[in-house]
Amino acid sequence: MDELEAIKVTFFQECEELLADLEGGLLAMQEGVGDIETVNAVFRAVHSIKGGAGAFGLEPLVRFAHVFETLLDAVRSGEVPNTVDLAAVMLRASDVLADHVSAARGLGDVDMAASAAMADELKAWTDPSAAPPPAAVAAETVDAPPPAPVAADPDALDDDDLGFDFQPMTISIDAQAADAELIPTNVWTVSIRPKSDLYRKANETALLLRELSRLGPIVATMDDSALPTLEFLDAEAAYVTWSVRVETDDGEEAIREVFEFVDGDCELDIVRGEAPVEAALANLLSAIEPPAPQAAVQAAPEPVAEPAPVASAPEPVAEAPPPVVAAAPAAVAAAPAAAAPAKVTQADVPGPGQSVIRVDPERIDRLIDLVGELVINQAMLAQRVGEYGIAPSSNLAMGLDELEQLTREIQDSVMAIRAQPVKSVFQRMPRLVREVANMTGKQARLVMDGENTEVDKTVIERLSDPITHMLRNAIDHGLESPEERRAAGKNPEGVVRLAALHRSGRIVIEVQDDGKGINRERVFSIAVKKGLISPDVQLTDEEIDNLIFLPGFSTADKISDVSGRGVGMDVVKRSVQALGGRISITSRPGLGSTFTLSLPLTLAVLDGMVVDVAGETLVVPLAAIVESLRPKAEEVRPLGPVGSVLAVRDSFVPLIDVGLALGYRNTSPSPTEGVVLLVEGEDGSRAALVADAIHGQRQVVIKSLEQNYQQVEGVAAATILGDGRVALILDVDAVINLRRRESPRPTEPSLIAAE
Amino acid sequence: MAALLLPETLDLKAAGPLKASFLSRRGEPVDVDAGQVRRLGGLCLQILLAARKAWAEDGKAFSINGPSEAFLETTRLFGADVALLSADINGVNS
Repeated sequence: MDELEAIKVTFFQECEELLADLEGGLLAMQEGVGDIETVNAVFRAVHSIKGGAGAFGLEPLVRFAHVFETLLDAVRSGEVPNTVDLAAVMLRASDVLADHVSAARGLGDVDMAASAAMADELKAWTDPSAAPPPAAVAAETVDAPPPAPVAADPDALDDDDLGFDFQPMTISIDAQAADAELIPTNVWTVSIRPKSDLYRKANETALLLRELSRLGPIVATMDDSALPTLEFLDAEAAYVTWSVRVETDDGEEAIREVFEFVDGDCELDIVRGEAPVEAALANLLSAIEPPAPQAAVQAAPEPVAEPAPVASAPEPVAEAPPPVVAAAPAAVAAAPAAAAPAKVTQADVPGPGQSVIRVDPERIDRLIDLVGELVINQAMLAQRVGEYGIAPSSNLAMGLDELEQLTREIQDSVMAIRAQPVKSVFQRMPRLVREVANMTGKQARLVMDGENTEVDKTVIERLSDPITHMLRNAIDHGLESPEERRAAGKNPEGVVRLAALHRSGRIVIEVQDDGKGINRERVFSIAVKKGLISPDVQLTDEEIDNLIFLPGFSTADKISDVSGRGVGMDVVKRSVQALGGRISITSRPGLGSTFTLSLPLTLAVLDGMVVDVAGETLVVPLAAIVESLRPKAEEVRPLGPVGSVLAVRDSFVPLIDVGLALGYRNTSPSPTEGVVLLVEGEDGSRAALVADAIHGQRQVVIKSLEQNYQQVEGVAAATILGDGRVALILDVDAVINLRRRESPRPTEPSLIAAE
Repeated sequence: MAALLLPETLDLKAAGPLKASFLSRRGEPVDVDAGQVRRLGGLCLQILLAARKAWAEDGKAFSINGPSEAFLETTRLFGADVALLSADINGVNS
């Protein structure tokens, strides 16, 4: 059953994508920009989920999806007007659908009562006059036997099915189950005879076949014997029919569901068993006989008619074989030469998604590690060559240059494999916002920016929790209630902005609300009350804001379901720090707060400036460096007892001796003796880092300190240099912060905790 | 040899024009370039099949060149790869 499990995993992966499409489409509809194409896309998403779920026998999911789909079908056909209100209802329905998918996956449970209520609501929208009494529906939703989705849905199936031979419907589910035990095969034969209407309605046989191939391997055999000659062919009429052998463990219902789309526009026969395929093969053999005797084929239409009686025989297998056996040898005898190519037709059609390869991330990680080693190795080689004093214009040096280029290209390509847009995390957030807003009785609108910002996959996976927390916090604590907002002259609907961007070689996630901002007095008094700080400390606004990251801090008056158990923000902070990231907050009373999360891209490679500090070799990320300069004595001004600033053009920036900040030395030499790197932190603040000497720019491979040793303040990671020595990579922001809080008040434990 | 470049999308809308372009090339060998095709529908498949037969009847060469991955995949899905793509019936009448 491993194979089935694997297919199931793929199905759930697809479900995620489909749910995202669904939500995207519904959001567009809610904003009033959804055209019929959007509705179709939404319909298809639900339909595909339902189809797959049916294939795996996920009954509750199928039932709910079916109700949803019925409504969407009515919207599609214009029976139910496509309104913004409806889109809002359907958005909630999509949440329930997502719950069903998660439940089917074994992650969490579905609130069956809520699901039934939602189903009722959907039904009421589908057909306001015929909304069944809720109790009955609830019962049906919970207890209905498997055939319910089809049987309970006269509305969806009442289109004209004139000419639609429903004979196979007489096969009851029970009988089918019995068959399943008697006949060990899971092979079905589906005869598809599209009508011209099918194409006219912009449906497509290819899609049907592709849908079928989702159920299991299929082999389609085409019958083009009814095809007129080119001159007499109506370009928009259907002539060709198909007989498809499907190998699937799912029942007839799953197969039938594939065709629900084209109900009435396609004649369909579904028969259990292998045999009719041979009949179809016989047809094929006669069809691919040399084209010359076309007149003969037209004159003797027996092969054309054949699949119909065979396929529509309600008793599967038992009676079908005899005529087939008779027909096949005859055909083979007539065209022995054609037999070989006919086999080729039987090649299995692989499922969709061929162009995408799913790879075990570990393999990619290994590849990245290896590329890292390659970079180090290449750097070592370059260094050795340099030591031998080989001229830069020599062939060897030039070859090395080329090698470096290549290495870099390989690196970029490998990184690109692992980089993914943050969209996968962001797309879960609209739902969260809706739910939290509902729970807290607030009106919130989520605006997302930079969904396509690419980040390393390992980071993406761990972004979800912090973002969830920050969003919850923003709605629960940040936004005011609609009444308060109205009283404050704001739009009752609050706006929460979630943005992702690259800055200084890191990814920055911002969660911004337009709520009331942080009530600093209260934060301060709570912190004092809880004994987190002493009442007589003087704190800047920024420091007070940062108090909310202290463990055990909660500002909510009452503990809500959503957030505010006092574990939220410090947990966020710790999880972010564990990723080598930082979190900060800025708040303006009455205008809202912004949480800024900054994480390394954890890409294994970085461009850095190699510098000497107190005899140690350090790497400063190039992305943070604005410029480097040698300060003149008159540009350095003392500030306070130990500090000094550097005049750079029109502004003053604090001078930070890296050696002092990292504890390499206790007294710093005069800045004029060293080199100054003007750096810019994430928040845009500038500082001048003093180093003893600059060695030059180099590409270095990041080796995580946290994994191999432990986190060290002021140090982002380590690397191995060309000569084999380990060098530390400077965390520029951390060094600026270290300095900031050390120099003015060197002994203030509460502030260290707050940071 | 007349060349015929198939458009990216071969759906309902493309069917009429496709038939017309085959008819206008009737009587001389045709070289169908399927390299750009991203979607192939049942209607256009029918036209391709009919055209292939027509060319075979005329005894003229009919070849489909550089088919795109999508074209190949869909043709296979349709079970039409042998009838449409195999080389051994390429324009040969007997």
